[in-house]
Amino acid sequence: MSQPFSPPVRFTRLALKVNAFLLIALLLVAAFLGLVAWKQGWFIHQTGINFVTRNSLGINKGMPVKLFGFTIGTVSEMRLAQNGVAVRMSINSAYIERIPRGSRAKFSRESGVVGASVIELIPGKGEQPIAEDEFIDFEPARGLSEIIDDFRRQAMPAFNEIKQTMSQFNRSGEEVTSAMIALRHEIDRLPQTHRALQRLLDSSSRASESVERITAGIERAQLVGKLSTTLDSLNRVAGTTEEVMLRIKPAVEIGEGAARDAGEIIAAAKRSWPLKEQYRQTEALLPIDSFEAYGLGAKPK
Amino acid sequence: MNHPRAVAGLLLLLAGCGAPGPVPPAAQARLEDANMRGASQARAGDNAGAARRYEEALRIARTLDDADAVAVNSINLSIVYQRMGRDADARAILAPIVANERNAYSAARRMQAELRLSIMALAARDTDGATDWAKRAQERCQAAAGGCAQLPAILNVQAQAALETGQAADASNLAQAAADRAKQLDDKSEMANALRLVGRAQRALGDPNAAVESLVKAWEIDRELADPRKLMADLLELAHASLAAGNKQAARDYQERATAISRALREDK
Repeated sequence: MSQPFSPPVRFTRLALKVNAFLLIALLLVAAFLGLVAWKQGWFIHQTGINFVTRNSLGINKGMPVKLFGFTIGTVSEMRLAQNGVAVRMSINSAYIERIPRGSRAKFSRESGVVGASVIELIPGKGEQPIAEDEFIDFEPARGLSEIIDDFRRQAMPAFNEIKQTMSQFNRSGEEVTSAMIALRHEIDRLPQTHRALQRLLDSSSRASESVERITAGIERAQLVGKLSTTLDSLNRVAGTTEEVMLRIKPAVEIGEGAARDAGEIIAAAKRSWPLKEQYRQTEALLPIDSFEAYGLGAKPK
Repeated sequence: MNHPRAVAGLLLLLAGCGAPGPVPPAAQARLEDANMRGASQARAGDNAGAARRYEEALRIARTLDDADAVAVNSINLSIVYQRMGRDADARAILAPIVANERNAYSAARRMQAELRLSIMALAARDTDGATDWAKRAQERCQAAAGGCAQLPAILNVQAQAALETGQAADASNLAQAAADRAKQLDDKSEMANALRLVGRAQRALGDPNAAVESLVKAWEIDRELADPRKLMADLLELAHASLAAGNKQAARDYQERATAISRALREDK
């Protein structure tokens, strides 16, 4: 005769316990998923805004969309359109009020030329906020060649200015060189001028002496009191001579002054720093030694 | 556009600093160069090379009609020729300078030429000629405004001439005067020459101890000047003076040192 089944006491209400465990696990999974969804913004209402670009290089799904450097959404979808690539941005609806009509999207990098690429929204001047699924203008990213071109355009006036300055500088240098050459030429000619003036002075002095001798002769002739006609003619000669002397006198004075000035200029030039080395007086004479009279013969080599 | 002007101004200033001075004419430059090289070779003891340089300088000076340069290079040549033993050439080269009182040479150059002729005459033991030339040189020297730097040398020549004609007292006085004047002019070479002559005169006057004292002073100066011929002369005179003073050992010592210098000079030749 068989014994009737009796469930083990250890596992009483087992089904209830298993169901409760599964329920709790399910709740925990749901809570986790809810947390993740909340963290991912699945519960935030997003507003879709679109733009079309002819070149979507560098634009990726999930790329942040920023307004004034603050992330307000992401690139949510990209699809091939008639004129290029249509890009959809999901913008947190809380910020849509800050994006008026006429706003533009711009591809840019966080640190200018390098850094992470983002879509930057540039607010327009409209008053009404942008509507759901509206298309806005897009400003593509500038390439390196465009940046260089832009730099060249901006730098060209500066380069032209520098070029002009250098040209003027070179011309000034040529003028300075020419002036220095002319100056040196004049300085080289100073001794000749001085000698010429000296000769003029000497000849003037000799002329004066001749005139003085003539005058003395005339005076003697007057004292002797010889022929009156001769005296008259001599007087005329003396008058002429005096005129000559009067004419010569300024020339002599000018000559003397010029010679003196030239001498002073030469002396000053010789004393001046750049020239004095050239005109330094050197005693070229060997020392005269009375020991040579001692008679010890030739000095050894 | 002020900057370019400022730079140009600065360049002008710098050009003034850096631009070479007036270039002397080519012939003048060659004359100075030949003279400078001649002096350098004469100092180095290369008398033959110095003579060639001075002859070249003399030729250039004549082409330039530069009387002073002609005189200077003639006197230099006379010094170098004498060192080479060409005494006749040394005298002949100076003849045009002293021949005519109204020539283009200055009184100072004429005086220097006369001094050189007196030195060469004395070296040839022509005391009369040396005295005559020295007297003429002294007259020009004393007539020169502010005196002249060659007076100690003139007095030394006169002192040596007096000594060699047996006038030791006069020689001593003249040499002492030369020493005093050389001291004033800070002319160490003539100072040593004068002291040597004082020592010789004192020995001739019978005072060998004083002679040794003067000769030692001369020797000390000549050691500073480092001229072996003068050192040898000092040592020979010291040997004579020491012997006269009865100090045979010192005399032998001085004699041996003088002989050593003489031997070294011969080997150096």
